[in-house]
Amino acid sequence: MFQKVLIANRGEIAVRVIRACKDMGIATVAVYSDADQEALHVGLADESICIGKAPAADSYLNMQAILSAAAVTNAEAIHPGYGFLAENAKFAALCEQCNIRFIGPESRHMIAMGDKDHARRTMRNLGLPVVPGTEIVSDAGEARAAARDIGYPLMIKARAGGGGRGIRLVTDESDFERAFLDASREASSGFGDSGLYLEKYMQNVRHIEVQILADTFGKVICLGERDCSMQRRKQKVLEESPAVDLPEQTRARMHADAVRAAEHIGYVNAGTLEFLVDEAGDHYFMEMNTRLQVEHPVTETVANIDLVKWQIRIAAGVPFPYNQEDVNIQGHSIECRVNAENPAEGFRPSSGTVDFLHIPGGPRVRFDTALYTGCTVPPYYDSLLGKMIVHASTREKAIRKMQAALAELVITGVDTNIDLHLDILADPVFQSGAYTTDYLESRGIK
Amino acid sequence: MIKGLFKKPRNELELSTTGAKPAPSGVYIPPELFTVCPGCKKSVFTSDVQENAYTCPNCGLHMRFPARQRIVWIADPGSFVELWPDLKSSDPLNFPEYKEKLKAAERASEESESVLTGTARIGGIETALFVMDAAFMMGSMGTVTGEKIARLFEHAAEEDLPVVGFTASGGARMQEGMLSLMQMAKTSGAVKRFSDAGGFYLAVLTDPTTGGVTASFAMEADVTAAEPGALICFAGPRVIEQTIRQKLPPGLGRAESLLKNGFLDKIVPRDQQKKFIVRMLRAHKKPRREG
Repeated sequence: MFQKVLIANRGEIAVRVIRACKDMGIATVAVYSDADQEALHVGLADESICIGKAPAADSYLNMQAILSAAAVTNAEAIHPGYGFLAENAKFAALCEQCNIRFIGPESRHMIAMGDKDHARRTMRNLGLPVVPGTEIVSDAGEARAAARDIGYPLMIKARAGGGGRGIRLVTDESDFERAFLDASREASSGFGDSGLYLEKYMQNVRHIEVQILADTFGKVICLGERDCSMQRRKQKVLEESPAVDLPEQTRARMHADAVRAAEHIGYVNAGTLEFLVDEAGDHYFMEMNTRLQVEHPVTETVANIDLVKWQIRIAAGVPFPYNQEDVNIQGHSIECRVNAENPAEGFRPSSGTVDFLHIPGGPRVRFDTALYTGCTVPPYYDSLLGKMIVHASTREKAIRKMQAALAELVITGVDTNIDLHLDILADPVFQSGAYTTDYLESRGIK
Repeated sequence: MIKGLFKKPRNELELSTTGAKPAPSGVYIPPELFTVCPGCKKSVFTSDVQENAYTCPNCGLHMRFPARQRIVWIADPGSFVELWPDLKSSDPLNFPEYKEKLKAAERASEESESVLTGTARIGGIETALFVMDAAFMMGSMGTVTGEKIARLFEHAAEEDLPVVGFTASGGARMQEGMLSLMQMAKTSGAVKRFSDAGGFYLAVLTDPTTGGVTASFAMEADVTAAEPGALICFAGPRVIEQTIRQKLPPGLGRAESLLKNGFLDKIVPRDQQKKFIVRMLRAHKKPRREG
């Protein structure tokens, strides 16, 4: 087992990983930017090193500074959290070169799955259903012809895309060429790769993803699915596990597909396969995330497993002692992402000092956060303040528990989206479980 | 202060169960992984510099470009055919330590001389190409350098090819004395005959192009381009300052000041060089001789 792990991240996920390390008796190294000197992860870690100025490009994305911090502190492994360098194949390869264990998949898996076109082809060849679409289209003319075959509305997507960039929704052929050129430019400047493909835009669908965990000995297990259909601008807002009213046959097929795909590519560590599920209950592969997900706690809660600890153990070469039969999904879990933003003002991001904080407690209520009274929420990073996670025997009870917990959560000094969550939780449509990815948009929440 | 606020748990390190790989035995950052940019002094990934045609990804400084990699970068894939790779410098004057210096230069540059010559297609156009390598004794011009350049111009005249050349040199090679200085006349003669025969010659002066090379074939092209910031001069600024005991104005001897004073036709950054060269070659293309 590693004696010392460096956490190349900030905020709640850095705190989450440090806590896992403390349980395991592993010493921790926090890295931080100028803006995060007084951040919770800095205080919790055994050692901390400043890696640069506030903008992420100068600090949390500064590979050289992070590798140097690992060298100075003699950390044996780096946990990247999610975001920042978590899916950066180059960083993973650099860690391999510098004799530092990267807690995550190998760089080759990140490259293979990071190329969305390659990932689609791999899955199609394996017999997985993928969202209908094209391979890489070279120019607007060829793309327009292909678009006619697929039919409108459709999505133009960047092969190297991510975070909602390099993506365009086109509803009418007259807008196609402009959208294609825009997406191409955005992909070229954002990712240095202008390769685009087309995908049918599926309506009335649910976004359901399957969590897998694979050890270095080729064992792959599936830890159930998460329903992440509650989204605003492709960003997840609320997640739950298991997915509501998912036909058992679909669920079984999705789980089997995810395991088969991970086995086929020789995947190692935690990974997530994202699918769309249509009204008929048919599922289509979208993409694979080669990292820990923000919403991993809902899986941890229902599967009774600590994903972060297992990520660390797998990276240290510990064989996974459970088999698929040992996975027992129990009850229902919901996570609400509490963001520093103001829904009344177009979700304008908010920053400032938290002058009062009250976190609810009680059985099966968990709030993953890096907040404390008096802490600063800097304007430089993403707006996630914390994740409220509850667990109960049924979905109905979980919704009740979440309503009670969020009503008790008090964060003053910055704006939050807590009221939006309370509105969603009280909505009979949400409570019935019959919601799809356009839930918020169709209610004018954009 | 958040630091020191929390107690440290007394948990012992979790036992690794059987089959666990031993933890890595110490972080080692290979020095070649990073390059310190001489311009902005920032440490950048060597791989980024290489992928960026040896320009600094941070400040855009044009670093020295190894000759063979420059050829791979500028020539159409697989089209370069090297000419006279076996010509090697001897030590005609028995100059002290010259043989050792040559060996060290071969090791440093992985080349046998300070210039590579051959033919290649650039943008589909067949071209005679020479590229000098600053890593070989700072690209200094010895008899073999001069011989290869002269032969290339003769070959280009015979085959009716345009010549494209990238210069990088500290000047004549002092270890070869007068023989080295004679290369200025020899290469100039070859360029003149080539020019009289109607050949087109484009030179790209890179950092540094100085001394005898500047005073001969580097400055004799039909189109003379340079890379941004390149030092181009006969005697370097430091030598002039020490001789005349006066401070020189900043930037003297750099490409930008040469352009201003009419010694250059254009400064072309690397990312535009291929396009520029192809455009020049097309503009000056002669109809091929028959037979």
